[in-house]
Amino acid sequence: MATRRNFLRLVGTTAAGGVITQYSSDIARALQQATDGPKEVVWFQGQSCTGCTISTLQAEYPTLEEALSAFRLAVTFHPTIMAEAGQPAIDSMSTDPDILIVEGSIPTDIPEAATIGHRTAEEWVTELAPNADLVVAVGNCACFGGWPAAENRRRVHGLGPNVTGAQGLQFEHREKGGVLGGEFASGLDLPVVNLSGCPPNPDYVLLTLATVLNGHVPELDRYQRPKPFYEPLVHDNCMHRGEFDRGEFAEKPGDPGCLIKTGCKGPYTNCDDQERLWNDGTSVCLNVSAPCIGCMEPAFWDRFSPFREEIEDSPVLGNVSATQAGAAGVVAAAAGIGAHMGRKAMGYGKFEDENSAEPEEEAD
Amino acid sequence: MPEIDIDPTTRIEGHHGITLQVNEDGVVEEAKSKMEMFRGAEIVTLGRPPSDAPQLTGMVCGVCFLCHRLCSSKAAEDAAMNAGVFDGPPPNAVLLRDAAEGIFYLWNHAVHLFALVGPDYSDAVADTGFERLDPLEGDGYLSAMEQQRGVMKALAEFGGRAPHPVSYIPGGMATKPDHATIQSVKSRVAEVSEWLGPTEAVPEVIENVQNGEFDPSIGEGLHDIVSILVAAAQAGAADIGEGPGRYYSNGIFEQPDTGERFFKRGVYRGGSVEELTKEEIVAGIHEDTAYSWYTEDSSGAPTEAGPPEPDPDKEDAYSWGKAPRFEGQSMEVGPLARLVISDMDPFDLRANLGGGAAESNTLNRLIARAQEALLVRDQVLAWLDAIDPSQPFMADDWTDDFTGKGVGLFEPSRGTLSHYMDVENGEIERYQIITPTIWNLGPRDADGGPSILEEAVVGDQVETLENPLSVMRTIRSMDPCLACAVHVQTPDGTLELDVEPVVPEGLEGGRCDV
Repeated sequence: MATRRNFLRLVGTTAAGGVITQYSSDIARALQQATDGPKEVVWFQGQSCTGCTISTLQAEYPTLEEALSAFRLAVTFHPTIMAEAGQPAIDSMSTDPDILIVEGSIPTDIPEAATIGHRTAEEWVTELAPNADLVVAVGNCACFGGWPAAENRRRVHGLGPNVTGAQGLQFEHREKGGVLGGEFASGLDLPVVNLSGCPPNPDYVLLTLATVLNGHVPELDRYQRPKPFYEPLVHDNCMHRGEFDRGEFAEKPGDPGCLIKTGCKGPYTNCDDQERLWNDGTSVCLNVSAPCIGCMEPAFWDRFSPFREEIEDSPVLGNVSATQAGAAGVVAAAAGIGAHMGRKAMGYGKFEDENSAEPEEEAD
Repeated sequence: MPEIDIDPTTRIEGHHGITLQVNEDGVVEEAKSKMEMFRGAEIVTLGRPPSDAPQLTGMVCGVCFLCHRLCSSKAAEDAAMNAGVFDGPPPNAVLLRDAAEGIFYLWNHAVHLFALVGPDYSDAVADTGFERLDPLEGDGYLSAMEQQRGVMKALAEFGGRAPHPVSYIPGGMATKPDHATIQSVKSRVAEVSEWLGPTEAVPEVIENVQNGEFDPSIGEGLHDIVSILVAAAQAGAADIGEGPGRYYSNGIFEQPDTGERFFKRGVYRGGSVEELTKEEIVAGIHEDTAYSWYTEDSSGAPTEAGPPEPDPDKEDAYSWGKAPRFEGQSMEVGPLARLVISDMDPFDLRANLGGGAAESNTLNRLIARAQEALLVRDQVLAWLDAIDPSQPFMADDWTDDFTGKGVGLFEPSRGTLSHYMDVENGEIERYQIITPTIWNLGPRDADGGPSILEEAVVGDQVETLENPLSVMRTIRSMDPCLACAVHVQTPDGTLELDVEPVVPEGLEGGRCDV
């Protein structure tokens, strides 16, 4: 059985989707604990599309309704789920929840751009967060500003680059700060735990909650994301990696080959979805030959748009471009060095100085 | 006159509230439908290449995740075709997109019927005896939650993941599903279909439900869906939520060779159907911003108007939604609109139970959603079969580098959707989106004409000020979602009473101050 400290790391690093099945009893027990104490959960939506909720609904081990059944008396607010349970809405919302989950960004320049019960999302979140033991930002918008913070490139109507001033809870793009400020710490003395992604994998949400409810402290990367989920590089575990190493590139969508020239952001994106897969192990973006869009990363959108263009000025591997590195990779592969070692041998390049990629010694 | 202020209505895809003016007899005399979120979707598409638009706008909604992506792709393709640089997506892409949207219909209708409106007709909430519909506890509810995951897995086979798939792009599909993948999708759909049960069993299932019998061998899902309809009929849902009886649909499920659609394109008004061309539809649409938190300059034809300019302090405004009108008229959109325009009423359910096949009321909206789930289910395997894996899914000639204007008309499960895109030298210079929800739930137009919802609840009796359940049922029939805290205030605001309209017995874990 997993120890308290390494539980999350274990479920994150053991291969593929079966992991969740393997530890489902641990997870179930952790969620069960929520009913033992007076734990209250608030799932709040700012400028959200509800995609993170819908994603979480796709979880299988446990299912969200199983988790909610365990949480039944504790979820004091979820605009989608509480409806079915008939819970009172605003008036039943705990003002000092044990766990505050936020989906969607928080508009700060036009606070009226997201209101619930005649109050702005900013007012709600800044009031609730300091009272919570744990604050979890679910999805790229709540983590980093995400979609609503995508750049107003034409600066229309005299509005700034960020139309409504949409911010994440503790970040705006890659800058620490956000609505709660860089110094914020919840009751458990943790910063906001960021589960980025558009949407995040449902496992991330339920496993993180299970981890914390089991008394574990999640190990976080510089963007405050649990390392086991956000350490692997998409590019390393991609099904097209062999094509990359052989220098076989698709020139346009639909062609066979590695998708880097069609704009794949896999070399710049960290998550374990290539192994974990989506929808109970059904598939993942690159398995249907759709280039990675980088949705797990801070500044997702403007860092990666245009999506169909290769990032040419930002070497993936040392000082060579991705396609050059792919050709060089042929040599590494021929020498019997695996993809991962190939990258290591080439020296780990940086997308930018602020890139989220971990140093190589931590990547194993 | 007491004012009932419901905020949040909490639709599944965003923030919504409604204010009702109720007379001394408890009859609604005026309603204001308020959309309470703004993100600037149209604004952030500007200055980007056309193929980025489906990526951006596809993520505008995590519930209708496929629809915006496909509609935006159609707008981009239309613009490129008008510019003369693109010949259109290959037939396989057209077939696959529609088949995927058909599968999406099944998902959305199931989730809506079971998770959003179903609880209103469950035993726990409304004492109907239908315990299987009880939220989070009923076997029917739980089984539907399990089935929705199965449908999403089918969608993930094509899209890589669901929600927010990534393989649908302008020019066709990034993915090239092989025969095995299509078979896998079919078997996942077949599994859900089996749970639902055969369409021809509907009359027998109705009889079962009326007799309090449950026979899963002829359709577990069907029994539960029919239970919702029977409970709604008994609750008088045919007599509430009456809209103007004007409908609009863009049509969908197209034969690539003939262009013919399974659901027709056009409008229904004055008691008759008018099949319309794309050009006629586009020419008829105008958006008003008189009661929206946008400047007056933001109103106009979606083919001409610039992106909406926020004006949060605007006097008399009460919504972040605009008010779209077709030739000056509000139009109801959604499953009922599609079936009326396509002249479909399987088993005469709306004629017999809903007061007429074309009547706009709360019951008919539910019936139409159920009918449509069956109609689409019965076609979707054939649509999948029409895909030829040996043929291309992606056009050879797609390019972002052009100057042109395009319109994408689409018909997602919630109703009519349109995207408008102007491209100059490979960059988007103007973008407009008109969603189904603003047709149904938008604010008043410049002439003070109400939206469909604002009209539909007027004249309905509120059971008690504390519990306007009939109004909530009407709102939900249009596919927003449930939880509401209702603040009832006297005009001078001295009395404030917090009300929860729906509190299932045994689930009232939260605090309620009633």
